[in-house]
Amino acid sequence: MANLNIDSVKDRTFDAIVIGSGMSGGWAAKEFTGKGLKTLMLERGRDVKHIKDYPTTNMYPWEFEHRGEMPIAVQEANPIVNRCYAFHEDAAHFFVKDKEHPYIQDKPFDWIRGYQVGGKSLLWARQTQRWSDFDFEGPARDGFAVDWPIRYADIAPWYSYVEKFAGISGNKDGIAELPDGEFLPAFPLNSVEDYFSKHVKGKYNNRHVISARCAHLSKPNQIHLDQGRAQCQERILCQRGCPFGGYFSANSSTIPWALKSGNLTLRPHSVVQSIIYDEKKGKATGVRIVDTDTKETIEYFARVIFVNAAALNTNLVLLNSTSHRFPNGLGNDSGVLGKYVAFHNYSAHISAEYDGFKEWTTDGRNPAGGGYIPRFRNVRKQETNFLRGYASGFSAYRWQQRSWDGVGSSLKENLVKDNLSPWHVGSHMMGETIPKEASYVALDAQQKDNWGVPLLKISMDYDDNDAKMKQDYIEQLTEMFTSAGFTNIKAESDHRAPGLDIHEMGGARMGNDPKKSVLNKWNQLHAVNNVFVTDGACMTSTSCQNPSLTYMALTARAVDHAVSEMNKGNI
Amino acid sequence: MHRRTVIKNLALIIGGAALLPACMQEKGKASIGLKNVDVSADQEKLIGDIAETIIPKTNTPGAKDLQLHLFVLKMVDDCCTKKDQQAFMTGMEQFNKLIKDKYNHSFGECDAKQREQVLVGIEQDKDPKSTAYPAELKTFYGIVKGQTVNGYTTSKYFMTKQVVYELVPGRYNAFYPVKKKQAV
Repeated sequence: MANLNIDSVKDRTFDAIVIGSGMSGGWAAKEFTGKGLKTLMLERGRDVKHIKDYPTTNMYPWEFEHRGEMPIAVQEANPIVNRCYAFHEDAAHFFVKDKEHPYIQDKPFDWIRGYQVGGKSLLWARQTQRWSDFDFEGPARDGFAVDWPIRYADIAPWYSYVEKFAGISGNKDGIAELPDGEFLPAFPLNSVEDYFSKHVKGKYNNRHVISARCAHLSKPNQIHLDQGRAQCQERILCQRGCPFGGYFSANSSTIPWALKSGNLTLRPHSVVQSIIYDEKKGKATGVRIVDTDTKETIEYFARVIFVNAAALNTNLVLLNSTSHRFPNGLGNDSGVLGKYVAFHNYSAHISAEYDGFKEWTTDGRNPAGGGYIPRFRNVRKQETNFLRGYASGFSAYRWQQRSWDGVGSSLKENLVKDNLSPWHVGSHMMGETIPKEASYVALDAQQKDNWGVPLLKISMDYDDNDAKMKQDYIEQLTEMFTSAGFTNIKAESDHRAPGLDIHEMGGARMGNDPKKSVLNKWNQLHAVNNVFVTDGACMTSTSCQNPSLTYMALTARAVDHAVSEMNKGNI
Repeated sequence: MHRRTVIKNLALIIGGAALLPACMQEKGKASIGLKNVDVSADQEKLIGDIAETIIPKTNTPGAKDLQLHLFVLKMVDDCCTKKDQQAFMTGMEQFNKLIKDKYNHSFGECDAKQREQVLVGIEQDKDPKSTAYPAELKTFYGIVKGQTVNGYTTSKYFMTKQVVYELVPGRYNAFYPVKKKQAV
């Protein structure tokens, strides 16, 4: 029996454990396995194999029972996830339903989750921009949060590293506040987007409208073909999972790559309860999971642990990992774990029309979605009555307007008559929000989920800075639209709760001072050097870029550091 | 017999049983299973006749050929709120009464011209303050019209033979002359 137990422990021991299989977890697994480490990847949800488990990917519109619309019973039973723009018949199976995994809203928060192998990397909007020092220096310059312990120079080579593998399309625009990367050809701006870009460049010296940079293989390199991926086919049905691997997801890229190495053990249906801390060794020794099929509690062991459970769930895992040494959560000597969470303010958009370029339209579809306006407010110095700024999406489009009026054969004729609309343009706001001590996630003292894990309480909200910034976005975009000759300009401010941006961040922030932060400059817990956090939980501030690319780069960098420390015997 | 085969055969039998209601339906009930609205065979026929008036068979298929009336019922049953479902059922009876009062027979017995006139009359009564028709009747017609056209324009027939839907465009031309598009 004794031998059996030893064998059992041996079978449950790996070099590295990665908690989570999404955007950043996939990268951790790829990097560890690529460096020869036996790696266990734990995923709380089911497996989703590339192509095989994309049931709707090749369905035509008429093959959906309700032509894409969610049945009212599902909508009414899921008020939260139903507010997500991508929750439709073709992708609903990749979203967590409200009742499956409850949480507590101390303040309204729409928590959008994808509990499966690949996580939300299957569902993301695929926009990828680098941060610059104007972002990393933000908290120090403007006096909020804590100073980032890294600068652009620390992460730049790692941006390049992950971009080459993931495949990012874009132009080298030469804009200091949005550094260029290792780009595949950009998806071009259309006639009105291009016109607006030139107009803005002429009118303002610091505003730019560029082709949106995105994780699509516009022209794959050998490294992408080696992953089994192919050129993006401009379907724009990405949320179903792409049979071509045309966009980057953990399912199409990092996970199959890691599996190919022979070093990865992927374990779905594994809810992590806590990380096991050994007081004598002063290290984490493993993790405790519940198998959601058997309800069995199992422990796995490793020399190093990466927590990539998605920002808020990473906080949950750390907060629930208590011990004599860490009564308030693993690595939480500072008391800031779970605090200073933030999000992106997406609550305004603006639309208009343009009476020009009637001779031009587009053909096919643009996976990049159009243009991107990097942050132009408060970049080099403080110049408004609010801190920080916003990036904006920008796109122009026409469509066939078909009249549904009347009945009979004339209606049938109208439904096929070409009648191209004038150009319409639209923009949406992506604002930085300020992490505050009062914004938190915490464990509920009483309520637990089906696996004995406390429910998460979430509390974050818009503040005065957000309101002023939104006002400025509406004013500035209105001015830019007006001067470009756009008409019928309509700005809309919606009252969405935080969360629908799906960019929740922070709670285990990086920082130089262990008294005020959870992670050091290597994404390593200040107090437990073999535990790393490289998902959104690590973010000291949010800036306004889409965050995934930064998580990928931080992850690859952190694994490199972890392995070098392991080789030196420090971990 | 192997256990697995037994289970498989049993599944086939159960599967067959699930299909039974479609062919051995209760007399007077709609031909498809509905969970939330109680629609009779007569009412199904009425919706078929309205849908066929909206999208008639010409030299191309009409609503009944494409079973759009069943799509309308499916959408009412699954995707309408309780309130709209109730208005739909009430409005349908109001519609029947309207026809009966006006023509002294059913919608199915109206000639093609009368049918079109009735529907266009309701459709053109756009002023929300108008009391020319009961509110439920307008909700009923609005749903039938909307879902018939929705079903038509997203049908396989329409998306392969009329306005071709491309699942895999394989291209994005950002500057494309309108002239070239019209020539297609």
